[in-house]
Amino acid sequence: MYNPATMAALTATRKRELRRALEAIVGAPGVLSDPDELLVYESDGLTLFRALADFVVFPTSAEQVSAVVGLANRERMPFVARGAGTGLSGGCLPAEGGLVLSLMRMNRVLEVDYENHFAVVEPGLVNLHLSWTVGPRGFYYAPDPSSQQACTLGGNIANNSGGPHTLKYGVTTNHVLGLEVVMPDGEIVWLGGRTREASGYDLTGVFVGSEGTFGIATKIVVRILKKPQAVRTVLAVFDQIDQASAAVSAIIARGLVPAAVEMIDQLTIQAVEDAFGCGYPRDAAAALLVELDGLAVGMEAQAARIVEACRDAGAREVRAARDEAERQLLWKGRKSAFGAYGRVSPAYMVMDGVIPRTKLPYVLRRVNEIVAAHGLRVGNVFHAGDGNLHPNILYDPRTPGEEARVVAAGAEIMKLCAEVGGSISGEHGIGLEKSDFMPFIFSAADLALMQRLKNAFNPTGLCNPGKVFPTKKSCVEVGPVAHRPHAIEEKGLAQRF
Amino acid sequence: MPDGLLDTLRATVGPANVLTGVDLSPYVVEGRTPDAAVFPGSTEEVAAVVTLAAGAETPLVPWGGGTAASVGVPAARAGIVLDLARLNRLLEHEPGDLTATVEAGLTMAALQAALRGRGQWLSLDPADGERATVGGVLAANASGPRRHLYGTARDLLIGVTVVTAEGVVVKGGGKVVKNVAGYDLPKLFIGAWGTLGVIVEATLKLRPVPDAERLVCVGFDRLKDAGAAVRAVMGSDLIPNAVELLDAAAAAALGVTAPGAALLVGFDGLAEQVEWQCAELGRLAGALGGREPRALPPETWPRLAAGAAGPGAVAVMTFSVLPAQAAELMEQGADAARARGLQTAWAAHAGVGVVRATLASEAGRLEPGPVAAALAEWRELARAGGGQATLERAPLAVKALVPVWDDPGAGGRIMQRVKRELDPKNILNPGRFVAGI
Repeated sequence: MYNPATMAALTATRKRELRRALEAIVGAPGVLSDPDELLVYESDGLTLFRALADFVVFPTSAEQVSAVVGLANRERMPFVARGAGTGLSGGCLPAEGGLVLSLMRMNRVLEVDYENHFAVVEPGLVNLHLSWTVGPRGFYYAPDPSSQQACTLGGNIANNSGGPHTLKYGVTTNHVLGLEVVMPDGEIVWLGGRTREASGYDLTGVFVGSEGTFGIATKIVVRILKKPQAVRTVLAVFDQIDQASAAVSAIIARGLVPAAVEMIDQLTIQAVEDAFGCGYPRDAAAALLVELDGLAVGMEAQAARIVEACRDAGAREVRAARDEAERQLLWKGRKSAFGAYGRVSPAYMVMDGVIPRTKLPYVLRRVNEIVAAHGLRVGNVFHAGDGNLHPNILYDPRTPGEEARVVAAGAEIMKLCAEVGGSISGEHGIGLEKSDFMPFIFSAADLALMQRLKNAFNPTGLCNPGKVFPTKKSCVEVGPVAHRPHAIEEKGLAQRF
Repeated sequence: MPDGLLDTLRATVGPANVLTGVDLSPYVVEGRTPDAAVFPGSTEEVAAVVTLAAGAETPLVPWGGGTAASVGVPAARAGIVLDLARLNRLLEHEPGDLTATVEAGLTMAALQAALRGRGQWLSLDPADGERATVGGVLAANASGPRRHLYGTARDLLIGVTVVTAEGVVVKGGGKVVKNVAGYDLPKLFIGAWGTLGVIVEATLKLRPVPDAERLVCVGFDRLKDAGAAVRAVMGSDLIPNAVELLDAAAAAALGVTAPGAALLVGFDGLAEQVEWQCAELGRLAGALGGREPRALPPETWPRLAAGAAGPGAVAVMTFSVLPAQAAELMEQGADAARARGLQTAWAAHAGVGVVRATLASEAGRLEPGPVAAALAEWRELARAGGGQATLERAPLAVKALVPVWDDPGAGGRIMQRVKRELDPKNILNPGRFVAGI
């Protein structure tokens, strides 16, 4: 059994030997060991945690991944797979040293079957590139995490990633048919396949969302969907946030399942309008962005039901985007919100709780109260349709004590989500960040069963140690909580989720 | 069964809730009679019964409606039936959340009736809803024709409570529709045939009942043409909720007259959407030799879930293949059986490539040898195209010749490790499932 306490720092001689062994597998240009180069890989999209690997390697095939994993096992070194590093929970960090396997050179679309509606891809393929590949034939890949311009399918598998359109189409796991996996002992195994059902337990289903602790996916079979005939996007503007919350349930109560229902609060609207001018009214308490898709026939009738539900809930203004340009502008406002926070605050911390959607009015009130009680401000922009909150607590890391208050408020919000029957993560994963919050929603027995499942896949614990389960973080340098927007986010070109 | 266990069980759940002797006749499976049938009245009682059985190392057979009790490898030891019929409550239904939490012994029909009263439904339509329970449907991963649009249990189960093989109550997932906290335990128990834990509670995603729904039938002279029509539908803008392909024998069993094959397509949504799609289907199918579409009565739906089997069914095999290969498998499979003098009926959820074949005999009796040979050939046909086959139902003499479950490949070893971790004493449905599990 792997025990981090017995891991000593590598001597220079041993490091040279290991480097040679890795070069023999992936070639000299496929191995990084210089501390300056390794720095790039010390954190993911959440800068709360940092950890340095001893090596970063760039395999180009399942066989190379298997050989690297085999070497790691023989040398008893921990290892972790990494995609684009856009994760938001520290899940791909080498928390206990060892190897990082970057899969960014395995980024091919291997096969597309338009007749049977699936594609076989490598894990380093960027999410959006799959939709670009199949787009000309009228298809797309449905799960659309907001980092989809950068994040990879392999990372999506690890985190069971979501996105705005999961309300109607489900999350990553609902679109994965099969996986070729390098197991933590180096064996290459197929779980599931190209057909809908496979013999035995649904190992594909448990692998997706296992945050890199069950092995490394090297081929991924995903469903691709036909693009809908028609799309309609409606903006509803409210003077009270409670009205907007109530409208979410009212839409559902009218028998509609929109493709997406996103909420944006006043602080966020003002930041977005200052930055980009997307057409959201600055004085609104909240806005809902509702998108319908499907057949052209009946689209107007459904849009009319949405408008009616929002008006009945007290919307002061409801309008449909007149054309694709206006629709894109509205979505830009939603998607560039995180960059816009940079205009109103030096830093922010993003939360990822989930609640039953009927609890939205109460929970949003409580979130605002909790943050205010800590002397801080919060902006909310989130997937209201499926109750997936993203409170962003704004603060200034230069003010002494403010970070600690952010962390305390964050923990209270997680507790609140748990208390109303919700969850501590809707799409960002547990990783390192929330592992100590797991007992908020799971008993010791629940966690013990998960540990047994992990033992079946990863008995030595060498594959991505220190994640998901409550554990001490002694090997990890806990840095500042701050998230500072990346330059492309500030320009509204990309977003965090 | 060890001495004294029966008395302890009676003391645990009450004497009226333990059946023995002739009362066990409903629980006789493939000629084997269990030692007892126990009806716990709460999750705690389930846990107590499992703890007792584990202590005595006596096998347990979790039991819902018994509709799939004969699916699987015949058990070496019958053990104790753990019947969840008393756990039959709808615990929570919050329409605004589109979720419901139910006890495992609730029947699908009772659940759907309660949900429909509030304008919602669970978009899962397996056969035998009057008897099949939620827990059983999950354990068997049962589904029906509407899986084409709405998926299967894995797309709908968001939380599960199980009693482990050691009698511990464990939760996985939660009550919210989007949740990535911890491993996805609900997936582990779907289709596990009760070999990893006893499902006692489930939280499910719901959908609003659509304004309108219609099932239409298009007759074809040849199965091949109907298969081409399936591909045309799949490549079109239509959004059907079911795409069913039936050969002439299956169509006849369903009471649908079709010269060579029948394509049944379901649509739901607003009335105008259903109307437009039916017309569009007629246009698409007509160009490929399809007759004029005609609407079928709603009672047809549940019979499609059962695979449209006729009388005298002796063996049933289900396949999962690529959707575009379904029609070809049906033709080749029927030919292979005919060459051995066997009558078959073939029906498919064609849009998802799930095919079901029934071997029938007028006398209700067949020679095991030729039946086994035909089944083995069918499985090879499916495997050649990257698919797989399960022998869902067959006489013991045939099961002795043809494996029930398809080979899970290298993944089988991981499955065995999962089983050992979760059921170290091997008491839950031992030997019934794949890879000796």
